[in-house]
Amino acid sequence: MLLVHSSLNAQGLLDKLENEFPDKPVYEIATFKTTRIGLGHSIETRKKGALEISLYNRYWNIPDFKGQRFLADVVSIRYGLDYAFSDNFTLGLGYTNHDKISDGFFKYKLLKQRQNSNKGLFSITLIQGISHRKVEGIYNDNYEQNNASSSSRYAFTSQVLIARKINTELSLQVAPTFIQRAENPLIDDTKNQFAIAFGGRHKIGGHASIVSEYFYVTNPLKSIETYNAFMIGLNWELSHLLLQFQMTNARNFAEDTFITQTRNNFNAKDGNFHFGFNATWVLQTKKKKL
Amino acid sequence: MNKLLPLFFLAISFADFNEKQNQFIARQGQISFFSYTNVENIEAKNNQVLSILDIEKQEIAISMLMRAFVFKKDLMYEHFNESYIESDIYPKANFEGKIIDFDVNTKEPQTKIIRGKITIHGITKEIDIKTTIKNNNGNYNLTGEFNLIVNDFEIKIPPILSSNIAKTIAIQFNFKYEPYEE
Repeated sequence: MLLVHSSLNAQGLLDKLENEFPDKPVYEIATFKTTRIGLGHSIETRKKGALEISLYNRYWNIPDFKGQRFLADVVSIRYGLDYAFSDNFTLGLGYTNHDKISDGFFKYKLLKQRQNSNKGLFSITLIQGISHRKVEGIYNDNYEQNNASSSSRYAFTSQVLIARKINTELSLQVAPTFIQRAENPLIDDTKNQFAIAFGGRHKIGGHASIVSEYFYVTNPLKSIETYNAFMIGLNWELSHLLLQFQMTNARNFAEDTFITQTRNNFNAKDGNFHFGFNATWVLQTKKKKL
Repeated sequence: MNKLLPLFFLAISFADFNEKQNQFIARQGQISFFSYTNVENIEAKNNQVLSILDIEKQEIAISMLMRAFVFKKDLMYEHFNESYIESDIYPKANFEGKIIDFDVNTKEPQTKIIRGKITIHGITKEIDIKTTIKNNNGNYNLTGEFNLIVNDFEIKIPPILSSNIAKTIAIQFNFKYEPYEE
């Protein structure tokens, strides 16, 4: 009996500490880790003072192209800068050289998922994007141009990103998306479009994960044939450098464009296959004091 | 026998009660760790480490949440928790041990060895830690430094990042204890 008593006490010190931990809510971190799942945004925002410098590359071939180019027939690059003004608010800017679209967005983290709690089952982030295209082609095709008025060159994308980290390996996201475009006087197309973005991440190691995204458009454009954008890829984290490798049918980087105006299906037919490579460098401009 | 049993339990609980007079707690203990390499220096600090000291038994226990470590760079915090220490699966690090030849009554600073078991990332290791103990009128203060080898705790570092993280991590601690009341 005495022995039992003393062994209970020996166990006791750590158990006593167990009860001393303050009952503070613990929020999930690293639901996706990267601020983009792949093509679209994730619920993640960087912490205050973080500057993200990004280069997104997309490679594809032109069908029946007679020339010879290194690696791929077309390379499109988006140069991006994102700055976190607070832990919950990020402003981003980007420019894509191929389709000559400038885009900007602000992103606000509204709700954070809590660990081991029935409150706060989801993380919710709001995002508002604007894009402007310098060359108004028949949508994303550079080879045909028309003389649209300058007002038709702007498009607005609003998204509510809702995500849940199911467990340490799996995170899922759903994002109702509303896209508004100034009316094009030459083409009788809808001004407002709705889409739902589905995204997921599955970790395959400490630093790597498989990601996938699918964008379902409820009211596709009628003037051209479009397909829903799909992406499957690998995200790899190397300290300050985050790398993403993707297979997709999306050609453009701006949300409004690739969600509603992807003109080829996801397959390996000539010209349909697009390879994406994103590199993001995270710089912490404000360091915490310890 | 039946009549004696409650008395017996009473005696035990009374003994328990007496013991608690010998216990001291630190609620804002500090633990810092440092990883110095040619590529980068990583430093983190936890100001919410819990520790309890039993001066009669000369035992000590320490417990902390890995998520409470603060890093200079926030992305490091995420990598640390998600990719290295896996704090979702192993949220805490614990230590329990005995202070060898601890002189409870002396007012002079004394340097002693704490021998015990440390658990990080779900792996438990035997360890001896040197500590300086100061007794300020019954409020004890323990400070010290020791090293841990990353490999001992099965923390995986990808080969491409092995030059960014030191093989041996230096750890500093500072605990200020006050009498423990429940």
